[in-house]
Amino acid sequence: MKKKLVSILLTVAMTAAMLVGCGQSAPEETESSDSAAPAVESTESAAPAATESAPAVSGDKKSVVIWDYFETDAQKAMMDTLINGFNESQDEFVASHVYVPFSDYEKQLTLGIASGELPDLVIMDGCGMASFIELGLMADISDADIAWDEYIAGPMDSTMMDGKHYGIPFATNCTALFYNKDLFDAAGIAYPDENTTWDDFEKMAIALTKDGVVGFGNAGVNTDEGTFQCLQWLYTAGGSYTNIGDGIDAYKLMQRMIEEGAWTKEAVNWTQSDVNNNFMAGNIAMQQNGPWQLPGIAANAPELNYGVTVLPKRDATSGQATSILGGENMGAVNKEDASGAKAFIKYYDQTEVMVEAMKQYGSFPPKTEAAKDSYWTEDPMQKNFIQQLETSIPRGPSPAWPSYSAAIQTGFQEVMTSAKTPEQAAVDTQAAVDAVK
Amino acid sequence: MKKTGHKLSAANLGLLFSLPALIYMMIFIGYPMIQNLILSLKNVDVYTFARPENQAFVGIDNYIALFSNANSVLPKAIINTVIFTVASIFFQFIIGFGLALLFNNKFPGCSFFRGVTMISWLLPVTVAGLLFKFMFQLNGGIINQFLTSLHILEEPIEWLLEGRTAMVAIVVANIWIGIPFNMMLILTGLTTISPEIYESAGLDGANKLQTLFMITIPMIKPAIMSVLTLGFVYTFKVFDLVWVMTKGGPVNATELVSTYAYRLSFEEFKFSEGAAAANVLFLILLVVGIFYIKTIDDNEVM
Repeated sequence: MKKKLVSILLTVAMTAAMLVGCGQSAPEETESSDSAAPAVESTESAAPAATESAPAVSGDKKSVVIWDYFETDAQKAMMDTLINGFNESQDEFVASHVYVPFSDYEKQLTLGIASGELPDLVIMDGCGMASFIELGLMADISDADIAWDEYIAGPMDSTMMDGKHYGIPFATNCTALFYNKDLFDAAGIAYPDENTTWDDFEKMAIALTKDGVVGFGNAGVNTDEGTFQCLQWLYTAGGSYTNIGDGIDAYKLMQRMIEEGAWTKEAVNWTQSDVNNNFMAGNIAMQQNGPWQLPGIAANAPELNYGVTVLPKRDATSGQATSILGGENMGAVNKEDASGAKAFIKYYDQTEVMVEAMKQYGSFPPKTEAAKDSYWTEDPMQKNFIQQLETSIPRGPSPAWPSYSAAIQTGFQEVMTSAKTPEQAAVDTQAAVDAVK
Repeated sequence: MKKTGHKLSAANLGLLFSLPALIYMMIFIGYPMIQNLILSLKNVDVYTFARPENQAFVGIDNYIALFSNANSVLPKAIINTVIFTVASIFFQFIIGFGLALLFNNKFPGCSFFRGVTMISWLLPVTVAGLLFKFMFQLNGGIINQFLTSLHILEEPIEWLLEGRTAMVAIVVANIWIGIPFNMMLILTGLTTISPEIYESAGLDGANKLQTLFMITIPMIKPAIMSVLTLGFVYTFKVFDLVWVMTKGGPVNATELVSTYAYRLSFEEFKFSEGAAAANVLFLILLVVGIFYIKTIDDNEVM
């Protein structure tokens, strides 16, 4: 009896602890975490699981398996719409998709190359594509009938190598500046806009930092997610991913604002979800983040009175701030028969399909024409991202981007934690970047 | 006649019995190890992975690069791993030993509390890592809340944001996870000491401290040795806890050899360098393992 009681108590305590753990670990925006859990198992044996989820693969139809890392309900719904639309549009192929968690995505692809267990099509982070083209994962589909010229140049570059096409951009986005209007009103300062300079931005952040609120926060975590957000400051200051020295003003601004307490130091460990959660909770008055957060804010903090504008520019004489392109690419996997992948890419190449999918997804279509849809250009939030997109540049592209990214983010972390002076960090990071072959 | 025949085959029989284990070891441990060794001597990275014709043996270049390259974090990772391991084991062992002595006595609720202390060992490490990450948060983390509201601290500590305190934080988390392991193994050792020995020690007038150092510890020396060695091996290759809590940051302050090897292979696609880093980890543990086997042998001879 006693033993039984103990074991029951233990089980209860453990489950409770695990539930607490899970509940906190999942960012608030991914309410679908329970539906994601069963899908995780399928990553172990992607191929069989994929055919399982495919609706009745009839004998003469060829299957097209797609991998993605989409987690939110809206993104899952988008994939279902896309796949149903594709399956109904023709009789030759049957498409299905497999969820692989983002944190494991590139590892699973790498292991897949070694083991041969691969899908026909991958939807992956744009900046990682160059590495996987070099690793031999992608098929050259330059002969496919795609409107290559209609795409925005930056995202398109990231799907190409040596003039050959390996896929098309799937979605494109960039980060911009979110601001909490209530906190600005309470502090009695004007909202930021496209004329806001770094000096104005710093003054705003200082004025907003009080009563437990920090002026600004972004994602500075020690992964490429951190690089994605921090690199923008370096470019706006005049540097680039191979030229750290000319961007030293970004280092100075970051270190100064963090020491003043106006830029939260917790950014060092924050992911983009952490940043958004803190913005929704009112812990930070301004955040750097992307359009994919808009549906999450609408769902979780409908009362939040906020606005979006372009990122602050260097000074009054300089142009609009640079932002870094994010988003996904769709790449055909190098298999004996890439016809299924090509067919799906061709299906997505239709502007109206792309526009519908991106409305559901909360990102922008990578075609110049498609992005001009009034859904985006007339929305008070979305139009700012469209404006920011005009001065956005891709990361790399380089097969060695992950090494560049690691070197660059180490530099930002040294600056943000005041481990080094901006001058020293610039010299050391330049050396680290130069050492990447 | 038949009897001697059987006796002769006994030695062979022993070999036969160990054969399945040997085959298993060769396939699942030997083969990957040799593959890994070969990989570490080549130049496989993002540029040569898909082109076997460009892959070449480069000898120990990868090892040299790992130890001498300015961008390499390996020397720092080794030092971090040693600090992490020694600090973890030291406290785990002392606390585990103390708890084992406590639970070796019978008192009301003894088995209940012994069971409860196992929770930290049963919890998946990623879950424990996440819990500790939240607990060590700068604002809203329970540890800072607790210390500041008791006025032990004036200002909240930036636990995971400074190199040294981040190391303290992951060590604390690892100690919490590892205590039950130490406790159970030592407790098992303690139960093998017959009560008569304590009785006679008591009759001879030994006090508690003398009993502990002259009887308890020498009697369970083999158990202590295995706890320390196994603990060392387990702690030295910890990966998930650190990956969840700090990802090796800030600024590589908590980068361990295991996280660094993972980073090289699966984030930077430097497969050969990653394999070399993993082999360095393996070599260090091999030395510890040999040391362990040797001391066990010596003990058994005695």
